[in-house]
Amino acid sequence: MDMKTKKLSLSGRGGIVSKYSYIVVFLIIFAVYALTSSSLTWSGVMNIFRHSAIIGIIALGMGLICLTGEIDLSVGSMLAMVSGFSVVVYNMTGSIFAAFLFAVAFGGICGLVNGILVGGARMPAFIVTLATMLIFRSVSQYVCQWLPKDLIGGGSSIYKLFTKNESFQAFYQIGNGKLATLPYVGLVLALMTVLFVYLSTSTKYGKKIYAVGSNQKGAKMAGINVPLMKISVFVIAGMLVGLGAFLWIAMNASTDPATTGTSYEMYAIAAVVLGGISMSGGRGKALGILFGAMSYTIIDKIIVALKMDSLINDAIKGVILLAVIMVQLAGPKIKGRLKRQEDGGKPKTAGE
Amino acid sequence: MKLLQMEHICKSFDGVPVLKDVSFSVERGEVHALLGENGAGKSTLMNVLTGIYPKDSGTVEFEGLNCEHMTIRQSEKMGIAFVHQELNLFNDLKVYENIFLAKEYTDQFGRLNKKRMRKEAKELFERLGVEIDPDAMAGDLRTSQKQLLEIAKALFFHAKLLILDEPTTSLNNEEVAHFFEIIRRLKKEGASFIFISHKMPEIFALSDRYTVFRNGTYVGSGKIAETTPEEVTKMMVGEKYSAEDVYEPREAGDTVLEVKGLSGAGFRDVNLTVRRGQIIGLTGLQGAGSSEFMQGLFGAVRGTEGEIRVFGQNIPRNSIHKAMKSKVAMLASNRKENSVLADLSLLENMYLAEHTLSALKFHIHKKEEDRKFTSYRELLNIKMQDSSQPVTSLSGGNQQKVFLARWLNTEAEILLLDNPTQGIDVGAKEEIYKLILELAGKGKTILINTLEIPEIQKVADYCAVFYEGSIVKLLEHKEISEEAVMLYATGSAQ
Repeated sequence: MDMKTKKLSLSGRGGIVSKYSYIVVFLIIFAVYALTSSSLTWSGVMNIFRHSAIIGIIALGMGLICLTGEIDLSVGSMLAMVSGFSVVVYNMTGSIFAAFLFAVAFGGICGLVNGILVGGARMPAFIVTLATMLIFRSVSQYVCQWLPKDLIGGGSSIYKLFTKNESFQAFYQIGNGKLATLPYVGLVLALMTVLFVYLSTSTKYGKKIYAVGSNQKGAKMAGINVPLMKISVFVIAGMLVGLGAFLWIAMNASTDPATTGTSYEMYAIAAVVLGGISMSGGRGKALGILFGAMSYTIIDKIIVALKMDSLINDAIKGVILLAVIMVQLAGPKIKGRLKRQEDGGKPKTAGE
Repeated sequence: MKLLQMEHICKSFDGVPVLKDVSFSVERGEVHALLGENGAGKSTLMNVLTGIYPKDSGTVEFEGLNCEHMTIRQSEKMGIAFVHQELNLFNDLKVYENIFLAKEYTDQFGRLNKKRMRKEAKELFERLGVEIDPDAMAGDLRTSQKQLLEIAKALFFHAKLLILDEPTTSLNNEEVAHFFEIIRRLKKEGASFIFISHKMPEIFALSDRYTVFRNGTYVGSGKIAETTPEEVTKMMVGEKYSAEDVYEPREAGDTVLEVKGLSGAGFRDVNLTVRRGQIIGLTGLQGAGSSEFMQGLFGAVRGTEGEIRVFGQNIPRNSIHKAMKSKVAMLASNRKENSVLADLSLLENMYLAEHTLSALKFHIHKKEEDRKFTSYRELLNIKMQDSSQPVTSLSGGNQQKVFLARWLNTEAEILLLDNPTQGIDVGAKEEIYKLILELAGKGKTILINTLEIPEIQKVADYCAVFYEGSIVKLLEHKEISEEAVMLYATGSAQ
């Protein structure tokens, strides 16, 4: 029976290379960036960090959802709606804290709606979140038109922070300030990543997420409340979108319901996949998401550095995503074949 | 000339030898039982034969042809068909579409000739004496029908040698009998079979010859008529086997489980009272409701009426979590579907149930968990290398022990074991019986659902026989016998 136990190998499914492919990808992209940008500076690197913050935070939530085998297409629209309404709350109260609380709570509620429909009513996540994506975006645009002008900062179709509020400078500082060269928003991303790495690797809740994604029936038979787990990941993802929305308005002092967060769901999913998380659930690491998100920000920077037309941006990102997935899938196979030739025709996997 | 002759086959995975200089042959028109514990190398040999794995050395001759580099396609072409334990049918396709998949009849324009396919499928079923509608969805068939469909599929394409890997696991006795009848008939028509099974009565009922493997080596072969189950079992397990009667009467404690009038999907009006430290066997024909009842107790199958009292407390129906909190645990049947979390490690698989009970203590203490895992590993004699290896890398018996550890780790007092020895080799079965008795001796209360009556005979204080969803008879230990159980299970005695 001992014979059957698979030996841990470097190139197998759980091998070192495929396990940490996200770092390899990140390093390659970073190297390209270092070569193309005329002057690689500390503040330039910190800028990457800053610009990865919102997508990174959203992607962490997306990562949890993907680990349970579900998906959330509504995060981009949710970002637009939550950030817009949070602006209104700030303009009404003049309190940064109130805006923050509202953003996180409202994000959580949006996530709860998704979660109840997916986990509770067992509707397919793809359809549910496609629908809420349309709803959130539309509501945020519609409401913006009909709100009294002074609530949205005097604009017409844009939510603007009320600059005359006493706390405005402090608010703006959160989004644009630095703690000894480290941007605050980047620190928030780092903190969240640490939190989610801990959550996914060292807590019982984290293990249950993996269990649900790995085998739903098996998870249920071990006493896990699968619908509740699903609802919880959607709520957490919504709260993270709320946090992202708060940072968005702190960084930009305004939010345009028509454009804020467009395609963010796709970038978040891409970051999750680049980070090595399996879309069918149960496999992958939260740390990968940070690198996935940063890889994408760097691509933006490279395009700017090379003075290319920014419209080519998404094409390049798409190609890189395809390439990485191909390497992730084909890499172990190619290695296995090479190894097999070396030791004379032995396949990788053992089994009776 | 022999139909199949495999000689001096060696095969290793990552340097670990799985087959060591093994020889094996099959005559024309015979059923050849291939025996051995899980991990003995039976499946590996079959995988070598059908070209799923390349062999390291040795020769394979089929119908006198030397097959140096066998591929899956080639073996199929030569007439070797592998009927897998996990059925490879497409549930969303119709029966005849499954048969003709990738080999469809078409006209000159590439359109499907459905009429001809239907007709020939029907003729085939008639020839086999199988009642399956070619137009039914494969997913709607009973497991036994699926099994027959797999065989029909192989026969249609003129298989000469069929490998049956534990074909009767999910069939009831009547279906097994019918299944065997068909095999005997096909044998007369010249087909040969390699029959892999753990069930001795079936092996002796069906096979002509046998070959035994142990730990990847050839132990012996011979005619079934010239041996006994005891002898073969000894060959399989080596020295460790003992057919001794392990049962000892124990003192039963207070009542710990009371079921009153429990009804639900597949079972109705079940009454049962169990005392501390007792072992109760539940049995009946497939579909008689014993498994459903057990799942109903645990909250995994919907209960509609009735009362469950555990340690004097009413527990709600339909909540697995509440049942677990009341110290009830269930080792589910169909390991792969209900227990295995393939992406998770051994340790994570084992700890999952405990985690759901202590969810509020958020943090995982890895060292503490590893320590506890080691103690279960020693207690249950789990053969493994490292607690971080994937659970799927263990053999069935060892996996089952990990899941037993999962439930023991919840400190459950009442253990519901649903078909606990499914797909497990004789040695591991023996260990599990002993363990069950040991646990009962320590005051755990155990319910075992199984269709294998000898298992119940071995350990149970009482045997509850199910018929059409209800318990029709409670047999005492000394009354338990295959005849007595079947009398009630078939509804012959009321």
